Amino acid sequence: MDSDDDGVSDEALLSGMAVGDDRAGLTFVRRYQRRLFGLAVGIVGDVGDAEDVAQEAFIRIFRHAQVFDARRGSVSSWALTITRNLAIDAIRVRRGVPTDPDDRVFLELMSTERQPDAVALASEDVARARSALADLPVDQRRAVLLAALYGRTAAEIAEAETIPLGTAKSRIRMGMAKLRVAVVIEEAL
Amino acid sequence: MNKHIEGPGQCEEIQEDLTAIALGILSGRRRSEVLGHVENCPRCSSELEHLSIVADTVLQLAPEVDPPIGFELRLAQRLQASGTPRRPKRFRRASSLAIAAAVTVVVGFGAATLVGTRSSNNEIRSTTANLTSATLSSHGQDVGEVFVSAGKPAWMFMTIDSRSWSGVVTCEVILAGGKIETIGQFALSGGYGAWGAPLTSSAGQVRSARLITAKGVVLASARLPV
Repeated sequence: MDSDDDGVSDEALLSGMAVGDDRAGLTFVRRYQRRLFGLAVGIVGDVGDAEDVAQEAFIRIFRHAQVFDARRGSVSSWALTITRNLAIDAIRVRRGVPTDPDDRVFLELMSTERQPDAVALASEDVARARSALADLPVDQRRAVLLAALYGRTAAEIAEAETIPLGTAKSRIRMGMAKLRVAVVIEEAL
Repeated sequence: MNKHIEGPGQCEEIQEDLTAIALGILSGRRRSEVLGHVENCPRCSSELEHLSIVADTVLQLAPEVDPPIGFELRLAQRLQASGTPRRPKRFRRASSLAIAAAVTVVVGFGAATLVGTRSSNNEIRSTTANLTSATLSSHGQDVGEVFVSAGKPAWMFMTIDSRSWSGVVTCEVILAGGKIETIGQFALSGGYGAWGAPLTSSAGQVRSARLITAKGVVLASARLPV
């Protein structure tokens, strides 16, 4: 969070943006630009393309701020999903130059040398997910991240990894199941 | 026609599909079939919700990275061009201050505090050690603001709300000693425009700024405080 972030909730900022409040928009951009750009550059692997992706994501967020429905998820998830989908579209446009996840987001995600403020701001869910992801077998982690971040289908992962389709599906499912246990605390029956 | 999925056994069979939907990697008819089942199956609905939370959480793990310098300004320009609902109906001081604050971040000299120092000619608006602003006037009417930030390079940012002008205009600055530099061109749409650009000269050299039409008519000008 930036030093000039005034602590207003994400939902309140979106409400302001929906009615053309520039200050709300500026606060929102400052609050999210590092996250959206970080995700975009991790996926597309090119700073220029990532800026295009992140800016287009902000434009869509501004444009659709008034229809955001908090019942369907958090603002951060919404914003990151928009960015992720745009980034996937961008790399599909230039299919000939695939990004190798091992070179980018993978290593960063596994890094324990996060900025102190980022660590402090991370929710318990995120901290548990990070730990659980690190604990996954490499094959499962790779399959989950290829799907979650890069939008690779099981068939695409099977082809890229030269493994049977069933194996790719199994790695995704098992990896997600383990993360689910770590992240989702189900209500006691 | 979509295949109908029902029964406890079917719930087990579609686990992989639920995972794929949560990850956004299942499309087409199969996705429709599974979602049709989910609508009427509390167990699978809950499972999909949880898997979606996991998929969302994975995105939250992406590292934070500073975007390139000028990101906010370029975004402001794109927002303006895209017609998102941020166009002011009239000139707004608060809006301009927010933009000025954005400039301070972009050029990397931290959060400047604007201090009002209105002068006798009523055009000069405010100064700080690093940021200067002035009212952009046309025939005695306020039509916008100009901000000049010190730094290497120095930057100029301008907002215009004339209510009537449209088309491409050129921005020039007059430097100490009378030299005129063209900073760039930008489009006014519906009377409104906002843009920014680096200066080739130092901020302290800028004495005034003006907007000129393609026919050479001066639309508006601003005197910067010395």
